[in-house]
Amino acid sequence: MTYGLSNFVNHGRVVGLGLLTAAAIAVSAAAAEYPDKDIKMIIPFGAGGGSDTLARTIAGVIEEMKLIPVKILPENRTGGSGAVGYSVVAKEKGDPYHLATVSVSFFTTPLLGGSPVSYKDFTPLAAIAQSPYIMVVPTSSEYQKLDDLKKTPRFTTGTTGVVSDAALLAKMTSNALGIQIDSVPFDGEGEVMAALLGGHVNVGFLNPSEAMAQMKAGKLRPLAITSAERSPAFPDIPTFKELGYGEILHTQLRGLVMPADVPPEVVTYWEGILQKVATSEQWKKQYIDRFHDIPDYVDAEGFKQVLERTNARYETMMKELGIIK
Amino acid sequence: METLALLWDGILAATDPAIFACTILGAVVGLLIGALPGLGPTAGVAIMLPVAAGFGGVAAIACLGGVYYGSMFGGAITSILLGIPGDAPSVMTVIDGYPMAQKGEAGRALGTSVFASFVGGLLGIAGLVALSVPVSRYALAFGPTEMTAMMCFALSLLSVLGGRNAFKGFVALALGLWLGMVGLDPISALPRYTGGSMNLFDGLDFSIVAVGLFGLTAIFTSLEANVDKPVAKYTFASLLPRMSDAVQTRWQLLQGSVLGFFVGVLPGVGASAATMLSYALAKRLSPTPEKYGTGIVEGVAAPEAANNSASYGAMIPLFTLGIPGSATTAVMMGGLIMIGLQPGPLLFTENPQFVWSVFGSFAIGNLALVFLTLLLTPLLAAALFVPTAYLYPIVIAIVVYGVFAIDNSTFNVMLTILAGGAGIILARLDYPAVPLILGLVLGPLLERNIRRTLIQSQGDLLVFIERPIALGLFIATVLVLSIPLFLKLTGRKKIAADEAEV
Repeated sequence: MTYGLSNFVNHGRVVGLGLLTAAAIAVSAAAAEYPDKDIKMIIPFGAGGGSDTLARTIAGVIEEMKLIPVKILPENRTGGSGAVGYSVVAKEKGDPYHLATVSVSFFTTPLLGGSPVSYKDFTPLAAIAQSPYIMVVPTSSEYQKLDDLKKTPRFTTGTTGVVSDAALLAKMTSNALGIQIDSVPFDGEGEVMAALLGGHVNVGFLNPSEAMAQMKAGKLRPLAITSAERSPAFPDIPTFKELGYGEILHTQLRGLVMPADVPPEVVTYWEGILQKVATSEQWKKQYIDRFHDIPDYVDAEGFKQVLERTNARYETMMKELGIIK
Repeated sequence: METLALLWDGILAATDPAIFACTILGAVVGLLIGALPGLGPTAGVAIMLPVAAGFGGVAAIACLGGVYYGSMFGGAITSILLGIPGDAPSVMTVIDGYPMAQKGEAGRALGTSVFASFVGGLLGIAGLVALSVPVSRYALAFGPTEMTAMMCFALSLLSVLGGRNAFKGFVALALGLWLGMVGLDPISALPRYTGGSMNLFDGLDFSIVAVGLFGLTAIFTSLEANVDKPVAKYTFASLLPRMSDAVQTRWQLLQGSVLGFFVGVLPGVGASAATMLSYALAKRLSPTPEKYGTGIVEGVAAPEAANNSASYGAMIPLFTLGIPGSATTAVMMGGLIMIGLQPGPLLFTENPQFVWSVFGSFAIGNLALVFLTLLLTPLLAAALFVPTAYLYPIVIAIVVYGVFAIDNSTFNVMLTILAGGAGIILARLDYPAVPLILGLVLGPLLERNIRRTLIQSQGDLLVFIERPIALGLFIATVLVLSIPLFLKLTGRKKIAADEAEV
């Protein structure tokens, strides 16, 4: 009995200690000594994938430019469609020593009920690039420009997984053009591309880097791009907005988040760092030019709004599809 | 001609020291695994998968490939010297190899097997190189409808040729199909059989399950298999392949290689079936069939050429269509995915450098194995007598550490051990593990492609027979499924059973 009691007391002490540490961290951050130890960059996906490359490139550029006095340590924590890794970050509430990048699963896994944490459990810091989508058809198809699609009532497109940006864009395009584009879920970008090139689906909404190779090879014809302005990498592809479909505007923001409730000074600190990254030659060379993204700096407030809008879009789509109630 | 130039570039690329080292490492590990009774190519590739994944890129797949065809060389050593098959694809080698050893011709038998393996490998690589480019070009025609038909064909071959006990095979297959459903529903995104666990959301990773089910189970079960037979005597000089034997067995080598290759290409059938068919063919075509089984070089050459060329044939559906037709290629597919490559029609156009370097490493590995096998045979024969109490704990430690290292997941380690344990129970009850793993791999592919087809056709089932490739494959499926019925009606015996490995 006494043993149990003393255990309880010890436990209480540990909690007290933890609170003190948290307070100490907050104070030291406020005292502008932040950061004073290495920062963990949690990557919720496997090594070698898109999210992994993004996270490691950002960490690499910050290190190369010596923007912070400490190291960023990337760590892959995979599983549960991102839920495992994102939970690791979110549970460090208020701790400004955990970073993560945003991905499609950042929104969709929580919406599906597959994760104990959602976008609300994170503090957006800033975004440093946006990745648009390019709507394409095979070169062999009869459709030369976007409005030609109106001649045919029904199309199919391939998407990676059920809830994805491609599926979302198919829905938006269907509504805007008054046609029906059904999404066929595949298991990866490679499969989607094979289905498109093999003529098993008619249209595609592709990442710039995926579309680039096949457009150069003359296999795919671009119809429109989903960004607000034309992309510097593809000056000849018109935006949906130009073509009269201003409502089709959707890009993926490449940005960083921290756990919820980190002090506002920390957010300001990172806005400064990421603005330098976004405009740097290293970032342009190592990421933008490689993946043909659009260079763009979005501050914490703007990034937060985009995250909320993206989440709302996914949520609406999933409700329409009957996936969630 | 262009293909040859590409292969030559690939061979040059594969001479890169790191890739070469990984190829040789894979080949030596394969030799050892093949020689150890009970451990076959699937177990070998499964054991090396977590380690090789760390090498990344070409080196990783060159290493796994090395284990695969290396074990085909190694299996013969045990079969000939001890009369125990080193693995399932070398069962047929025992029939003539061991009597040769008893007659005092162990060296000659080993030399013949090495030469036959080399020729089979060479012709297999030639077939792989010649066919994979045209097949991959045609592979884009394989949409969801055709893939559905292909899966049905593969599963029909698996169920008809799959083993001694068809009923138990079906049960294992059904178990695999069920396990393949765990995780998010691929089309409607609802969780299935996850029990609310975050870790099961992505489903069961088949390569992790295979590492347990083949790697660990094989080790656990062969702990009891002690080698207590004396090793047949041979001299090193007698190992060298003889010109006269090569000429004498030229037709068996050719038949075995060609037949093995095409049997290997068929999904659902693998190297073991190839060796049985090739031995049976050699015997049937021989003017003196009664000599087979008494210890003649032809009886060693035919199956050894077949199992090597079959291993390359099996890689065609894997590399071109992304369909693993056998348990070993299923594990290799896991390796491809781990290093971030999607096997399928686009692999050849988007990563030609990768594909040709890997093929180049096969050519180098096949040649290197001739020397490695001859040089290492004395050592490998000795390794058979290293107490399993020393050897296997080391292997298990490497497997467990390797699985953890893939993505720092303790869940995967537990899954591997669990699969290993389940594998022992299955083995004890005499349920084959191959249909289970193929069910786990092919089941989700089948389900997804049926549902994709139906989304495209808006629920119209007629599309399955309207498309010519799909129709052809469905007809082939029906024909394969009616083979047992046909054999029963004509009063013939069952088809040669494919024991442990497909």
